[in-house]
Amino acid sequence: MMHFNFIRPLLLVLLISFFIPRLSAQEPAEIIPPTDACYECHIDMDLDQDEVNQLFTHYLNDIHFQRGLLCSDCHGGDPEAFDEEDDAMWENDTYLGEISPNGEIAMCGKCHSDPAFMRKYSVSVSTDQESQYWTSKHGQSLKEGNLKVATCTDCHGVHGILAVDNPNSSVYDSNVPKTCSMCHSSESYMKGILETTSQYDDYVKSVHGKALLEREEISAPACNDCHGNHGAAPPEVSSINEICGSCHAQNRDLFQKSHLASVFKKEGLPQCESCHGNHYIVKPSDDFLNWESASGAVCLKCHEDGGKAKLLADQLFHVIDSLKINLDSAKVLIEKAEIKGMEISDLYFELEDAHNALIHSRTSVHSFDSTFVRSTAQPGFVASNNAKIGAKKALEEFEFRRFGLFVASFIITLLVILLYLKVKVFEKMKEKEKKNEKI
Amino acid sequence: MSINDWLQERFDIEAVKSFAAKKQVPVFFGSVWYYLGGVSLFLFIIQVLTGILLALYYQPGAATSYESVKFIVSKVEFGWLMREIHSWSANLFVFTIFLHMFTVFFSKAYKKPRELTWLSGMMLLLLAMVFGFSGYLLPWNELAYFATKVGTDITGAVPFIGEFLSKLLRAGDDVSGATLTRFYSIHTAILPLVFIVFLGLHLTMIQVQGMHIPESMEKVPENKRKMMPFFPNFVLRDLIVWLIVLNIIALLAVFFPWELGLKADSLASAPAGIRPEWYFMFMFQTLKLLPAHILFIEGEVFGILLFGLGGAIWFLVPFLEKPKYSRLWTAFGVGILAYIITLTVWGYLV
Repeated sequence: MMHFNFIRPLLLVLLISFFIPRLSAQEPAEIIPPTDACYECHIDMDLDQDEVNQLFTHYLNDIHFQRGLLCSDCHGGDPEAFDEEDDAMWENDTYLGEISPNGEIAMCGKCHSDPAFMRKYSVSVSTDQESQYWTSKHGQSLKEGNLKVATCTDCHGVHGILAVDNPNSSVYDSNVPKTCSMCHSSESYMKGILETTSQYDDYVKSVHGKALLEREEISAPACNDCHGNHGAAPPEVSSINEICGSCHAQNRDLFQKSHLASVFKKEGLPQCESCHGNHYIVKPSDDFLNWESASGAVCLKCHEDGGKAKLLADQLFHVIDSLKINLDSAKVLIEKAEIKGMEISDLYFELEDAHNALIHSRTSVHSFDSTFVRSTAQPGFVASNNAKIGAKKALEEFEFRRFGLFVASFIITLLVILLYLKVKVFEKMKEKEKKNEKI
Repeated sequence: MSINDWLQERFDIEAVKSFAAKKQVPVFFGSVWYYLGGVSLFLFIIQVLTGILLALYYQPGAATSYESVKFIVSKVEFGWLMREIHSWSANLFVFTIFLHMFTVFFSKAYKKPRELTWLSGMMLLLLAMVFGFSGYLLPWNELAYFATKVGTDITGAVPFIGEFLSKLLRAGDDVSGATLTRFYSIHTAILPLVFIVFLGLHLTMIQVQGMHIPESMEKVPENKRKMMPFFPNFVLRDLIVWLIVLNIIALLAVFFPWELGLKADSLASAPAGIRPEWYFMFMFQTLKLLPAHILFIEGEVFGILLFGLGGAIWFLVPFLEKPKYSRLWTAFGVGILAYIITLTVWGYLV
């Protein structure tokens, strides 16, 4: 039996008002329910003050609470039933009681799958999370009765759920890999589910991981960008090119048009992944095509014997490497001229053009067509040659200036000597004149 | 009939000649300092000539200044040489005036009857510094833009009139294209005009009063003093020094060219290492070192007041100095010189 207490609501109001500044400016104080039976009873339980504070801190930051939802909006029950625990929970038809994983999906989906309801909060919010979830590997496993699967709260948290664009959210772009790794990196947890648990460690070392986690470029892909989020599943071999192509569209299109596309399809090989790998994708280097490099060309994975593949790789490598060498030598000349103080800023435009052509020609490698790669690289050769000519001219100009300085200095020094002699002769003459005058 | 005779028939050039020849230069171990005034004059002439040539191509304006300077140094025949000589001789100009001022100070050449010569010389130094400050912005590059911003910010801290002065200089609330055109007109029209007036006064006073005789020579009877006629003996020697200075400038122009850098961008963040021209460095460094508040006033305002007071005392030295405190004034000058050198070096090292 519970008794109504006048002091508690007052304390509750004071406690909540302490946290009011933590709310966003758009969310006024009226969203805080001062009289809610759930609070009333649950803070009256055996919680110490720190635990109460922690619960409220979590709860007050929760996006649902900030948007005006109460405990009962998720858990059911009667928030007005202050006097009777049974009325509030056990005898109330809406009260959900202990929530099972399946029940959790339905509980969240109750609102999140309802476009009319969600529109109140945002017109652009998607409402397909629940349906997507059931198509995901997690959802499929849950359907099969496997309870060791991720449900909504495993990724989003429980009472302290934050908006996706909040950097502290467990599903904020740069936090996603860590969130997924909580299960996927645990050998004991994944035992019997997935053979490998190295995805996170591999990803962290990858070009994508470094971009997202080290350089904090949130446009870099996290797990969900390739696997999907609510509908997370390993990509099919046939869809890998589309997944990578969503960012690397030009590479995808070039490969699709190449003669290799049909071979990959026939052999059932995944595009992109066959050369670049999956979670541990390193920054591509020109050595991918270099048979002579320490690690060997990536083509060796399939073409151990070399043959036509080696010939093509050699051709492609030669074009790109030549352009790179040309560009580097232009840079050296420009730097040399710049150190000598020559005004060569216009040449940097040529260098930029050459550099852009190098990037394009590296991309054009995905066509596996040496003629196309050569034509893509051609403007780069022209631009880097122009830069070299300009830099050489500047260096010649510097030599001319040095020569000019030498000539001018020589003339000036000669003039100084002549003037000095003139002064001496003149002064001697004056002295003589003076002496003669005295005599 | 020679040209001389032809002119003499029309003008009394013998009188001018004798006026020019009457000046004598004392010959002693410190005679070398007497060349500094002439070198400063020579550098000013170079500034005027190269400045006129640069003005043929320079186009003031936020959208054109940087581009036109780039055009001058890369496309105009010997344009680079003009800019280099203009920039290097500007720095040497201020340097020689500073040196000239200290040699005059330590040789007590400012004393009666040359008080006004000292004042006009001080005005010329002040104008040379303003020349430098206004010219520094004209290429409209990143470094110049932010240095001018900082410089005019400091002006804004002057009590009572700071805000007005800052707005007057900037032609608005911030450094902009309007500031650039304003600085251009100050640099190429107003300053040369004012400078030439003071220069004329300065040279006339020297010519009328003659060269200062060092104290050590004053005791020697006039007929036993070792003197040299200013014209033509000293002038010919002056010419030799001028040619040597010209050679040095040419050497600096070829081997130590001034970078143009990046174009000014008001939206970009200030690059690291923003500092004023070296002759403002001691003041800049002092302001940097002062605490936020000294007594009841802001540190920056305190520094500006201190420099204002110091400058006024320095300006009025000929009127403030009493013979019995002569050594004390020399010590004061040594202190000021040491302070300027130390703070300047400090500013570049930190």
